[in-house]
Amino acid sequence: MIVRRWVEGVDERLDGSSFISRNLRKVFPDHWSFMLGEIALYSFLLLVLTGTFLSFFYLASDQPVTYAGPYQPLQGQTVSAAYDSVMRLSFEVRAGLVMRQMHHWAALVFMGAIIAHIIRVFFTGAFRKPREISWLIGIGLFLSGIGAGFSGYSLPDDALSGAGLRIAYSIILSIPFVGTWLAYLFFGGEFPGPDILNRLLVLHIFIIPLVIFTLLGAHLALVWHQTHTQFRAPGRTEDTVTGIPVWPKFALKSIGLAFTTFGVIAFLGGLFQVNPIWLYGSFVPYSTASPSQPDYYVGWLEGLLRLWPNWEFHVFGHTIGEVLLPGLVVPGLVFTILALWPFLEARVSGDHEWHHFAQHPREAPVRSAFGAAGVAFFVVLVLAGGNDVVAKFLGVEVDSFNTILRWALFLGPVLSGLVTYWICRDLRDRPRHPLAAPPRVTLRRNAAGGFEEIESETPTAGRALEEPDRR
Amino acid sequence: MSAVAGSEAAVRRRILRCGLLLAVAGQILWSFRPAPGRALTAQEAEGRMLYEASCSTCHGLQAEGSGSGPSLQGVGPAAVDFMLSTGRMPLADPATQPIRQQPRFDPEQTAAIVAYVAAIAPGGPGIPTVDPEAGDLPRGAQLFLNSCSACHGAGAIGDSVGGGQIAPSLYPSSATQIGEAVRVGPGVMPKFGPADLSAQDLNSIARYVLWLRDHGDRGGLQLGRVGAVAEGFVAVVIGLGLLLLVVRLTGSKT
Amino acid sequence: MRRSSLVAAISFGAAILAALGLFVVYIAGGQPQVEGGLLFVALAGIGGGLMVWATRLMTGIGHLTQARRHGLPPPGEKEAAAEAMAGGVEEMSRRRLLFRLLLGAAGALGLAAIFPIRSLGRAPGASLFRTEWRAGLRLVDVDGNLVTRDTLEVDSFTTVFPEDAVGSGDSQAVLIRVPAGSLELPADRLAGAPDDYVVYSKICTHAGCALGLYLAQVHQLRCPCHQSTFDVLNGAQPVYGPAARALPQLPIEIDPDGTMRALGDFTAPVGPSFWDLPPP
Repeated sequence: MIVRRWVEGVDERLDGSSFISRNLRKVFPDHWSFMLGEIALYSFLLLVLTGTFLSFFYLASDQPVTYAGPYQPLQGQTVSAAYDSVMRLSFEVRAGLVMRQMHHWAALVFMGAIIAHIIRVFFTGAFRKPREISWLIGIGLFLSGIGAGFSGYSLPDDALSGAGLRIAYSIILSIPFVGTWLAYLFFGGEFPGPDILNRLLVLHIFIIPLVIFTLLGAHLALVWHQTHTQFRAPGRTEDTVTGIPVWPKFALKSIGLAFTTFGVIAFLGGLFQVNPIWLYGSFVPYSTASPSQPDYYVGWLEGLLRLWPNWEFHVFGHTIGEVLLPGLVVPGLVFTILALWPFLEARVSGDHEWHHFAQHPREAPVRSAFGAAGVAFFVVLVLAGGNDVVAKFLGVEVDSFNTILRWALFLGPVLSGLVTYWICRDLRDRPRHPLAAPPRVTLRRNAAGGFEEIESETPTAGRALEEPDRR
Repeated sequence: MSAVAGSEAAVRRRILRCGLLLAVAGQILWSFRPAPGRALTAQEAEGRMLYEASCSTCHGLQAEGSGSGPSLQGVGPAAVDFMLSTGRMPLADPATQPIRQQPRFDPEQTAAIVAYVAAIAPGGPGIPTVDPEAGDLPRGAQLFLNSCSACHGAGAIGDSVGGGQIAPSLYPSSATQIGEAVRVGPGVMPKFGPADLSAQDLNSIARYVLWLRDHGDRGGLQLGRVGAVAEGFVAVVIGLGLLLLVVRLTGSKT
Repeated sequence: MRRSSLVAAISFGAAILAALGLFVVYIAGGQPQVEGGLLFVALAGIGGGLMVWATRLMTGIGHLTQARRHGLPPPGEKEAAAEAMAGGVEEMSRRRLLFRLLLGAAGALGLAAIFPIRSLGRAPGASLFRTEWRAGLRLVDVDGNLVTRDTLEVDSFTTVFPEDAVGSGDSQAVLIRVPAGSLELPADRLAGAPDDYVVYSKICTHAGCALGLYLAQVHQLRCPCHQSTFDVLNGAQPVYGPAARALPQLPIEIDPDGTMRALGDFTAPVGPSFWDLPPP
């Protein structure tokens, strides 16, 4: 009753009834892999909610204060005001630590969900025309997420994140011509600089969330406007979309996923410790502890820095430092190729048609091979970023492990690409999936002693491939 | 026949006599082996027996070292006690880094060997008296972070330091062993003398390390205190893993 | 269906209890693990119940098929839209001079608007080439105590600063005492490393972390960040890892009473390389 009255009341003022009716009935395909983006969305929502709470307690100041809280090993020590505020939040504010940990775990799950979502979109070719703009926006969201994460975990001004800031400063410093100027502009001077915490805060709670909100809005609007891709199945065509209607089923399922995502992150936030800054101490520039790793979504950059050879270049009396290539050029190249992939693929394949069908990875063996190579590259780099920890865990010597990782960085992608290509080609060229149930045939012995077929039943292959795209 | 048997018996007797002479001569010569100038105490004598049985093959009878083991001249009782009480020594394979194991000798035997080595190789840092209760916990934390955490980790859980070496976790250590390691600098570890880290500094560091060992953290499961590597693993495998399970169960398969 | 509705009911019921539990925990003072566990039950209870309801209980609503409303624009339409947009621009660009002046004004203002960014930081100047070290300044440790010849044992090391800049990020240095006669420096460098003491910058020349690992047995300084390793006996040349530049040395002298003093600033700019760093 109330709902009806409200909707009618709103519509009387906005004249949106046809808009409302049409969009409440709009269908969305509900394949399970299409829900990965939603996990990222809801993790982001939780980041905003918990982050708002945290921002009421955080102080972006490097002024020294004396710690007077309940954590004994720091009592009487000189720490920065920012560090002190996060310690207070963690030890003296009720629900402070669980909020802070939920925020950090949400960031880790957010980035993981984005990566899983990118992998799904890539391997199913859902970035093809007309969805290239969505893909570009998505890469922009990925970059923004990395920026948000890096700026966020640097805010507590602990020793571990301070080392990360130092490395970022050094990478900026190595840029030819303008590097020193850019580093001094961004940090306010020589490292660590008096202004960096405040600037990171502005980035983290204002600029980057604004960018993410805008990009996210555009991303969702485009999905709504262009309608979602779907896998082939009997009865589905390029011009129709089959799924469940937005209201009530899809919306309630999605809201349910939101709460489940919140719940899983709350589980992590309460039961698993993350970023225990009290162990690391307040940042000082003259002390770096080990192990020294950033969060895993930056860990691949760390791996590049660890594995890269010590090449320093001298040009015309100037120096290009060792960190420029692994810290800026290679990641820049990776993101550029990633961003331009839909256009590169369209140019190479000559395919400029609209596609609303999502492909199975096996329908595009070359693309899947590149995708597998990319994933292998990323995984090796993340392992390399934590090489000292992983080596100790595996019981191997870290310097030999580095050698293995360097080989793996080349061989891994090549091998996984080749293997993926062969598997995809093999699966694609078979009439039915090798794991599908075999056709059942009923035989009868006839009087002459031979066998004859009386009944045969070919089960549907489920996801029948009617017109596989040759790619 | 009997003539041969007779000469055989004579040869046998001769051999036996020579053997007896050699054994006696050997015993006499053995008793002339180099020994400390003064008489050994009972404890040092026991230590001598144990040392010569378990240590001298690599470290030499006079603690002068050999191809397989370094000289112990001037290493000090702290080093000997550290190596023995943590089970690092006796080391089966000299090519590997000594790591903590079950000690071979009980405290009494260890003390005896320490006393003997001190007698034949005097000098070096003595076993420090480390009293964690007298240490200052915040000072210990500060010293630990500045001087120890680069190798041993901010959480004292250890890390690879390259060259095939591991800076071990400090959780199994006693306060005395912590003090000994700081003074002695076992393996690739540098040493820190009393003018650099005083006895009170040792107390404080030991107090902090033991505090780390005995106090869990508020945040929940510590994940080995290794930081982002374990956290990333948990986020992806447990966090994203659970959510993948949820979407797989509630999404359609076509 | 009945079992699903039971599952959903239990989910929601558990969520209610957990939410009530959260009240209690909060009033009682809070405890992170209990808070997290109860939040998990409360949130996932609602979430799980909703998902079960949507997927198992709304059986009347199945898959529907709709036409995709948007496709390639009909022929002529996209040209018309492009024409409408371009037409407006052409209307303006017909007045050539005005248009160019407008572009000039926008460009100039745009460039001028960049200038406040300059206020964010100061010019690097020569600050990357200098630290706080000057000739005659005494070496002190992180607590401000004077470092003398007797402070360190052989195979020991400590962090040192100029006496008036304790804790300074760019002046941080590491004093190492090596076994007698083991330094292999050229003569002019050896003069600044008396009595088997040598001081190097503590800032790794790769990416700037503090070099806190001293592997005394092999006389190597190692960086915890990316494992750059420097040979202390040999002028801190990099021997492993991604660093390419040796650590700058701080030449020191030792007074008769054992006090250590710097003889000047480091032998090279400290820290990671930058564009204006001249090649060695």
